[in-house]
Amino acid sequence: MILRGPDELLSPLREALRDAPADEADIHLHRRRAAITRYSHSSIHQNALSDETHVRVRAIVGRAVGVVESNSLAVTDLRRSLAGAAELARASRPDDGWPGLADPETVTKPHAFDEATATAGAADQAAAIAHICRGLRSGMRAAGTSQHELTEDAVANTRGVALYARGSLAYLRALVQSDVGSGYAEDLAWRAGELDPAGVAARAVEKCALDRDRSELAPGDYEAVFEELAVAEILRIVSLTGLGGQSVKEGRSFMTGRIGEKVTGEAFTLVEDALDPRTLAIPFDVEGTPKRRVTLVERGVAKGPVYDRTSAKAMGTRSTGHAADPSRYATGGHAANLTMAGGAASRDELVRAVCRGILITRFHYTNTPDPRAATMTGTTRDGTFLIEDGKITRALANVRYTMSALELFAGIELLGAQRLARDWWSSNGMGSVVCVVPPMKVRRATITGSSPR
Amino acid sequence: MYPVTITPSLLSDLVSVASARGAGYADARTVEREYELVSVKDGAVEGVTRSADRGIGFRVLHRGAWGFASTDRSGEAALRGLVDEAFRRADASATVHRREVKLAPVSPQRGEYRTKLRRDPFEVPLAERIDHLRAVDAASIGPNVKTRRSSIAAYRTRKHLVTSEGTDVSQEIIESGAGLSVLAVKAGAKPAQRYDSRLVRQAGWEFVEHLDLVARAKRYRGDAEATLDAPLATAKPTTLVFTPEFLALLVHESCGHPTEADRLLEYEVAFAGTTFMWPNARGTLRYGSRHVSMTADATIPGGMGTFGWDDDGVPAMRTKLVDKGIFVGYLTSRETAAELGLPVAIGSARAEGWQHFPIVRMVNVSLDPGDVRYTELLGGVESGLLLEAPASYSLDDKRQNFHFSTQSARVIRNGALEGYVRGVAFQSLTPDFWGRCDSVADDWELHGFLSCAKGEPLQLMRVGHGAAHARFRDVPIEVQP
Repeated sequence: MILRGPDELLSPLREALRDAPADEADIHLHRRRAAITRYSHSSIHQNALSDETHVRVRAIVGRAVGVVESNSLAVTDLRRSLAGAAELARASRPDDGWPGLADPETVTKPHAFDEATATAGAADQAAAIAHICRGLRSGMRAAGTSQHELTEDAVANTRGVALYARGSLAYLRALVQSDVGSGYAEDLAWRAGELDPAGVAARAVEKCALDRDRSELAPGDYEAVFEELAVAEILRIVSLTGLGGQSVKEGRSFMTGRIGEKVTGEAFTLVEDALDPRTLAIPFDVEGTPKRRVTLVERGVAKGPVYDRTSAKAMGTRSTGHAADPSRYATGGHAANLTMAGGAASRDELVRAVCRGILITRFHYTNTPDPRAATMTGTTRDGTFLIEDGKITRALANVRYTMSALELFAGIELLGAQRLARDWWSSNGMGSVVCVVPPMKVRRATITGSSPR
Repeated sequence: MYPVTITPSLLSDLVSVASARGAGYADARTVEREYELVSVKDGAVEGVTRSADRGIGFRVLHRGAWGFASTDRSGEAALRGLVDEAFRRADASATVHRREVKLAPVSPQRGEYRTKLRRDPFEVPLAERIDHLRAVDAASIGPNVKTRRSSIAAYRTRKHLVTSEGTDVSQEIIESGAGLSVLAVKAGAKPAQRYDSRLVRQAGWEFVEHLDLVARAKRYRGDAEATLDAPLATAKPTTLVFTPEFLALLVHESCGHPTEADRLLEYEVAFAGTTFMWPNARGTLRYGSRHVSMTADATIPGGMGTFGWDDDGVPAMRTKLVDKGIFVGYLTSRETAAELGLPVAIGSARAEGWQHFPIVRMVNVSLDPGDVRYTELLGGVESGLLLEAPASYSLDDKRQNFHFSTQSARVIRNGALEGYVRGVAFQSLTPDFWGRCDSVADDWELHGFLSCAKGEPLQLMRVGHGAAHARFRDVPIEVQP
């Protein structure tokens, strides 16, 4: 993708908005170039590049809102979209909860863009995969993904907001399999240069080698070590069920009626922080509001959710800059850049702290049977092990875990160093939560079943 | 409103260029998508959205490997870049590649496919749609109902595929649908939500009218209110009767996905997972009881997985996946059929949009109907539960271990429905669960999903699922307070 830059992207938006046939209007533009190379059996089987543009125009007439989306940047098309949105607004009904458009504010400079990632190509991605395949032991095979992504976002409105940010993403995952087991590792960064193919391969190979002669674990409560990807999965459930202002307002969040109360253990602190230099984010939301750092839970006490403009108005507060694309995410505030407080324990120290329990590498296809309690259920995969007397002693068949996140975090006993990670859903774009997250050792994790060996 | 200008010869020109550059195979596909969505929340219009996009996807086999590129621009430079990038990607793939990609044969296809409909949903005036939703919203109001949402949507997709093997097919698919959600909240009780976002069909406005959303809203309100005050279920092995709506999702997750050929070839192993239905078990694996047969059929009128041709250019067809409880078939693309040594692909290569590489997807995958009346099936239950709609669901990476909870559970006593219980969930292993099925009714009906998620990058696919009421004996249930 040729980056167009702020002038080329904001100029048509400003021009189209200048004579918008509505009382107010705004435009959010998102460009995305995603280069995804997938491999299986140590062989590339899919290699695709998409280069796309999304334009979302809102026109407000009175308090009625019309929306038109397209993929054209031409001023004539933008004007046509504005006219269409105004026509929809006029045919619609007033929205009593309409909060008005964002006013211009100072926005932090975007951090998550790397020129070298922007210029990397298909050969670079194939080379990283080849590197992983060279790191396999005899009898092993690798599968996974190399992803390089560039984005440009621009927001402009009739009140004078005009914002632009670019971003990059680099991702490399490896699932290493033998005939009897599997191991998994990945790296995620906004600089492709930070990905370590040899390290990814080594971590996945080590787990795969350990994953043999699996046993089935009986249901029950166990001590547990959750690695970073597993913790990210729990945080995604917490985010989707409880961290948006709208979910708090509607009584669906664990925070509803409990802000200021202790909801989990003191070792758990969670902030929403798109400005954290480690994370993948741009510094404003789709409404043009600057993203603010929001403390969600501090030492176990619920402090409050994130808001978009509509949920903020409904709750008598101001937007925290967390409006998300409503065609993909629930409205009312979306916490997409979570940072969980970490600690200093190494992985070995986390494992040594377990008398009898399990190590969980990651989860697969999780969901929430009880959103109000932030309960997650899901099966583990690609590295589930029994720990006895501080040592990994045997591989386990994948287990089903079902437990409230608040109860899980209440049992945190040790935390490791943070790193950037995405949950299973977010790793292919189904979710959009990115976490700076530590591994943790907890007193109790509830296992409710086992897959066959 | 599109940046891409489609000339009559654009696709064939691209394919010709690819062939001249040495591609073993090439296809070019334009996709133009439109949708309109009107939503009402708590009596007020929440949103009125109109969306459209158009672009080109271009796929080549070069040096035995795939390369794919896509763009929503159509200038000369953009198209040259599209071709160059597809070849660059194929050549990069060939550097880490085990064997040359082969494609199962298909004869050159020509023609057009169009959805049959009575009233174009895009032609229904906005005011009529809003008024319809306001009536639905009013029917949702209840003493403990805190949030009410409803929506009506219309979708149109136009596709044109040209391949280097002589296929040239065009399709126009129109879909209509609705969404409904009622959230009831009461002090001291767990919130109860009844919702459905799968009320969608390849049809016109007549399908929205057929849904009778007002009656449905009243029923959802009643279910949510009753569930608030319902006693907890008892955790014990129980006879469960599932509605067709619930079974549609169970079929999707536990039969549709594990019969996707790309999962058994491990193309999806790192993300979506694999399967427990391996080729050496085909024809022998007992998937379920003798009452359980499942069929993939892309020809069902109105199905969300119905089309003229898939994105390999393979014509729509019908294939048995499970026959009287025995696993017998797979969903395949041309590539996966060839890799498995199968003589023909069954037409399951589908891409969400122009920017996506076609992968193996479900079409309409259905539980075949039985031959007993629903009342007769229910009459065979002395004590059990009717599970009306799924809430949370979670599957393992082989689609073998699953967990479902329900929005609404009705008590069955001596063959009659009486009252509600709450907190019902169950986990099971797929063959064990389907093995407990002892009756399928004859009231088969079709359901549609808009967003089956798979692939990298994420592709959301429309799929259809038919099912009838069915009864399962001694299913251990969990209770979540």
